[in-house]
Amino acid sequence: MISVADLLVNNRVPGNYFATDAYVRSDLEMGLLENRQGDRLLALPEALIQGIYAGLDKETGQATRLVLYNCGRWWGKNLYSRFVEELTDYYGTPLSDMPMVEFLQSLQNCWRTHGWGKIELDQSFQHRGLLVVKIWNSAYARLAPQSNQPVCQLEAGVLASFFGQLSGRELYCLQTTCESMGADCNRFIIGLPKRIEPAETMVTNMEHDAIMQQLCN
Amino acid sequence: MHPQLESIFNEAENRYLKVEELDPLDQYVTSLPDRLQTYRVLRDRETTIMQAVADSLVTAFPNEKHERLERSIKHAMLVLRYAAMGMLLEDEAFIQNRLKGWLAETVKAYNTYDIERKLYTLLDQQLTNFLNSQQASLLQPMLNLAQATLLGEDQEEEPLTASALGW
Repeated sequence: MISVADLLVNNRVPGNYFATDAYVRSDLEMGLLENRQGDRLLALPEALIQGIYAGLDKETGQATRLVLYNCGRWWGKNLYSRFVEELTDYYGTPLSDMPMVEFLQSLQNCWRTHGWGKIELDQSFQHRGLLVVKIWNSAYARLAPQSNQPVCQLEAGVLASFFGQLSGRELYCLQTTCESMGADCNRFIIGLPKRIEPAETMVTNMEHDAIMQQLCN
Repeated sequence: MHPQLESIFNEAENRYLKVEELDPLDQYVTSLPDRLQTYRVLRDRETTIMQAVADSLVTAFPNEKHERLERSIKHAMLVLRYAAMGMLLEDEAFIQNRLKGWLAETVKAYNTYDIERKLYTLLDQQLTNFLNSQQASLLQPMLNLAQATLLGEDQEEEPLTASALGW
């Protein structure tokens, strides 16, 4: 016997917290974008993203990649805090009690609703201590200057920090394929720094699958 | 808001609406008492309807873990609430926006397709006991759309753009 009344808490069935039409709110008079909690959202014009790349290149040259990665780490740390806080408030359960499937779906919807593209996690290498993340339609890849190596350092930093916070370990993230170089999607490998960092030099001359094979050997 | 009415109001600006433009508004307003009544029935009888569905579902899947059945029932309650609101607003986009890329993924991840199909058949049966044919005809398109979205039978999701957000 299943009691339907017992399935409800405060007569509420939580839905998709990050549903776009519910999550993003705009106030035309004030010119503001807010999320459903009333926190401010920023819409970035393409010219600004291109300007960030150009400005960083001019100011920091070769260090641009490192600067973007570290900015991403900072962003990822804050993103994780907000993500946890919002989900905990909405679903009324601590994140640790949330099933992995629902956690990942929330992350996918969060990513999409914020306009960062589509994100998918490949957990088939989890037993080897590696997580593969795929992202499609990234504005940070599309608007980056042409390069002979992957350009989504900002997202790599976000992912390293986000999953680092989630796992309570210091993690590193390496991008192996990039939409800016004609790949079907942006692939990222996340794992412990000592495992991933040696693969840094493989990115320019090896395919993603070959890099994974090397890392798993 | 009813998307067709919204677009009529946006287009009208500083002129009177033409006769043919007022027709959808007229139809919607005429149907509103029925929509409200259907909504009230669903709201007030939700527990009764869903309890009957739950009891039949347990009988149909005697060896299934209750946890899996409970999850599907809970989602069906949400779907019915969305369908009721979509029916009230006569807005299919409301349902699609709330369910797309989320509940369908849950069904896929937990592989509960068999449970869902049976559950929605039972729900359709139960609804005939509580809604008259007029009320059922208002709700059914929304429920069908929700089921198609849930079981991944609708089209591929569109990328998020400013126009998709209605900006």
